[in-house]
Amino acid sequence: MNARNYSYELAEEYNMQAYLEEQWKNMETLFIRKIMGFSSIGLGYKMQMPLIGRFLRWAAERQIHSEKPGRNPVRADGHFGQVLPLEDAQHIIGNLAAEPIIKNYCVCRWMQRGVKDAVCINFGCLSNIIPKLTRYIPVDQKWQLDREEAIAALEEQNKRGYVASVWFQPVPYINAICSCESPECGGLRLRNDFGLRTVYKGEYVVTLDRDKCQGCKNCVKMCQFGALRYLPSIKKVIVNHDKCFGCGVCRHACNNDALTLVPRESVPGQAGKF
Amino acid sequence: MDKTQIKIDYKKCGPNARIDPRECRKCMNVCDPAVFLMHPTLEEHKDPYNPEKWLVTPVWPCMCTGCMRCAQVCPEQAITVKAQRSLYQLRQP
Ligand code: SF4
Ligand code: SF4
Ligand code: SF4
Ligand code: SF4
Ligand code: SF4
Repeated sequence: MNARNYSYELAEEYNMQAYLEEQWKNMETLFIRKIMGFSSIGLGYKMQMPLIGRFLRWAAERQIHSEKPGRNPVRADGHFGQVLPLEDAQHIIGNLAAEPIIKNYCVCRWMQRGVKDAVCINFGCLSNIIPKLTRYIPVDQKWQLDREEAIAALEEQNKRGYVASVWFQPVPYINAICSCESPECGGLRLRNDFGLRTVYKGEYVVTLDRDKCQGCKNCVKMCQFGALRYLPSIKKVIVNHDKCFGCGVCRHACNNDALTLVPRESVPGQAGKF
Repeated sequence: MDKTQIKIDYKKCGPNARIDPRECRKCMNVCDPAVFLMHPTLEEHKDPYNPEKWLVTPVWPCMCTGCMRCAQVCPEQAITVKAQRSLYQLRQP
């Protein structure tokens, strides 16, 4: 991982402050604004029409990964993420994240589920912007965190079943570790329901040790991606690697040490499948 | 089959109505597939960081399962759902 991608220097070079101010002011309206002339409302129906669908997908993916200076923050060009296991998320917070670090209410859960859940860890120049949006600042708990507190918060959230993800906002500037829940998460929605690469799968996939698995099914409930299934005939769980995002959240439910993350490229058929 | 149609009567919920969606939020809570999006209106706001006018838009109607919970829970009867074609088949992780 590259510490430069987290630095204030980089932020200045790319004029991040202005981009982020605009993006955050307009965050909740992202999905009702237009992508290349098409609004996201009814996106699924539009993607079903073969030609429009192909064009939309191409346009949206180009926009999501935009590194051009003229990108449009109101549409969140260049804003995408990747799923990562707790250990890597903690490493970023512990060693790479620029201070100050804050914990604010999850935007996606507020705008799509109507609940306030203080789980988003933001750092660097973003943590100077979000406090201006008072609706995202927790009222009943400490929200300015030191590194140790942020690492502990991530662990608690991951164990609750939230998927850790790291966000470019915009490329190549990294300033958030999210703890996501599907289907509210806007990134996971576009990926899981519309096949757009807004969130990449993690660098790992989970493997299950048949000898250790006791068939308690606890891990199945934790997986947000439907990658785990209990087979009654063998009284064990099996993994669908194509569905696994490598978040590692299932591991917290296993008392028998049966689930392990392994590098994605070490599993046949999974190399390069992000 | 036709697309699912979900309509919200903004005379009953929104900046020109008795109910502010930020206070209510009931439809969003009961909807399993999170079809609704609560957002500031697209006009200029006095304080752009803390906009005061908010609306609910059914932004992902193709994910609607037709459970009708939103229509039932809405204290203002502001929501109508005509559930038709659902696009869960688009899923491709
Ligand atoms: S990306 Fe994840 S944690 Fe961040 S705001 Fe969205 S759902 Fe919340
Ligand atoms: S939690 Fe562990 S022991 Fe239980 S079913 Fe899953 S892998 Fe097996
Ligand atoms: S099976 Fe994969 S995607 Fe599901 S919880 Fe485990 S690591 Fe995450
Ligand atoms: S009918 Fe059910 S699934 Fe459809 S929008 Fe209303 S609550 Fe959501
Ligand atoms: S339940 Fe009805 S009144 Fe409440 S936020 Fe939704 S649309 Fe508005």
